[in-house]
Amino acid sequence: MMAARAFRELRILIPFAAAIALWWGIKDGIGVSNTLLASPAQVWTAFVYLATHGVLAEYAATSLQMIGVAAAISFALGVPLGFAVGTNRYAARALEGTLRFLQGISGIAWLPLAILWCGFTHTTTLIVVIYTLIVPIVFNTMTGVRAIPENYVLALRSLGASRLRIVVDVYFPGALPSIVVGLRLGMGYGWRALIAAEMLVRQGGLGDLIFGARTFNQIDRIMVGMIAIGILYIVVDRLLVQPIESMTLARWGVLRR
Amino acid sequence: MASDKISVSGFRHFFPTEDGPVQATGTIDLAIREGEFVTLVGPSGCGKTTLLKAIAGFIAPSEGTILCDGKPVKGPGRERGVVFQELAILPWRTVRRNIAHGLEIAGASKAVRESTVARLVDLMGLAGFEDRYPHELSGGMRQRVAVARTWAADPEIILMDEPFAAVDAMTRLTLQEELGRLCATTGKTVFFITHSVDEAVFLADRVLVMTKRPGTIKAVLEVPRHGSGGRDWDSFTADPEMRNISEQVMHLVHAERGAR
Repeated sequence: MMAARAFRELRILIPFAAAIALWWGIKDGIGVSNTLLASPAQVWTAFVYLATHGVLAEYAATSLQMIGVAAAISFALGVPLGFAVGTNRYAARALEGTLRFLQGISGIAWLPLAILWCGFTHTTTLIVVIYTLIVPIVFNTMTGVRAIPENYVLALRSLGASRLRIVVDVYFPGALPSIVVGLRLGMGYGWRALIAAEMLVRQGGLGDLIFGARTFNQIDRIMVGMIAIGILYIVVDRLLVQPIESMTLARWGVLRR
Repeated sequence: MASDKISVSGFRHFFPTEDGPVQATGTIDLAIREGEFVTLVGPSGCGKTTLLKAIAGFIAPSEGTILCDGKPVKGPGRERGVVFQELAILPWRTVRRNIAHGLEIAGASKAVRESTVARLVDLMGLAGFEDRYPHELSGGMRQRVAVARTWAADPEIILMDEPFAAVDAMTRLTLQEELGRLCATTGKTVFFITHSVDEAVFLADRVLVMTKRPGTIKAVLEVPRHGSGGRDWDSFTADPEMRNISEQVMHLVHAERGAR
């Protein structure tokens, strides 16, 4: 039982092992120059150096802190906005086009303007990441609210519920599974936007780390940074966002019938 | 007519559509006395739900006035409880918390909530299911919860929109008897919509028959009660007087279906 479980957990690592083997084969088999590609061994050495000197931890901590703050602000602003739009049929119709338009302009496209407004600061990065994160949260909150059967609301109104009460007792729990999906999507988009913004803003973070390494042709460090970006995203998603999602779905999954 | 619990006069409703307004009902006048159980039977699409929604205060009538206790209806209120056909109890609340919801909103104490839930759980045969979620219950059980939730909030008027239509036929008979008993012991004023003739006659003090869309009330039949307490299906089906009323209602309803 335990062994079978452990094997299932380890199975997800097989493609990674294959990719590393392929990478190693290309590097040593063809003999690609060190100015184009570092070998897994070189990357490992760079990783050990960056990890033991606290460099990786510092840059990663900046990125994680930024995504955390951006997610909290986006949630706090996006959910009420989604409720406001979702409960008002006219607002929903009017804003649907606007939201789609804004979805077309990626967060990174706001970077020139944000830099002019706020300079090369964390605020600029936050503006870009929050913008990216908040759209899927608003959109999914709105969709979640609109999927709630009207009878839930009517029944509560005839039990004497106030508007606030309906938000707390019906809209929030009813839309929660959808809100969490929005948060999860937003975290994915937001993480990518964050790395890109960090490369231009250069105030710390993993994007800064890999862009800085480029200046000195430190290919091994660039690759350490890229791998860290991927791994941290999996960690945030699997350990933080996915548990919230399955928790709400397990209890309320039947909601959509 | 000051003693009427519900009084509808000159009611007519139109729904706006892109091709202009569509008439949902004809002109309807109606009065329901305190403690009376009135059923309304009519073909689907005749506007019965529209009328119920207007009395509940969910929609504002295009024409006419609706009074409850002599006061015009301006919106939903806790003195008018509503039981819907389906999909109205909250899936993320247990049976207990669904039933107590109205009392919770009214700010009742924990002791009051608990004793009310216990009483209704007992009356509606929900004992042992208090801590279950709706998706763990059968359709019939869910409707019992919906009925219990409305009764727990203790409204003076109860509006029911085909509450048993989505329940299987066997369970429906039980639920109808239970509802009859519940009303007999609590003395609520009930306005009940259905498309089932038997159900309409079985439950009612008075049956209203509606024409097809745009519906008006074409007939009113009194259904006398013998003795106190709700009716039961065994004696109901054996009673020639009841059978006679059912047949009359059936003819009235059938005429509307034939005309289509």
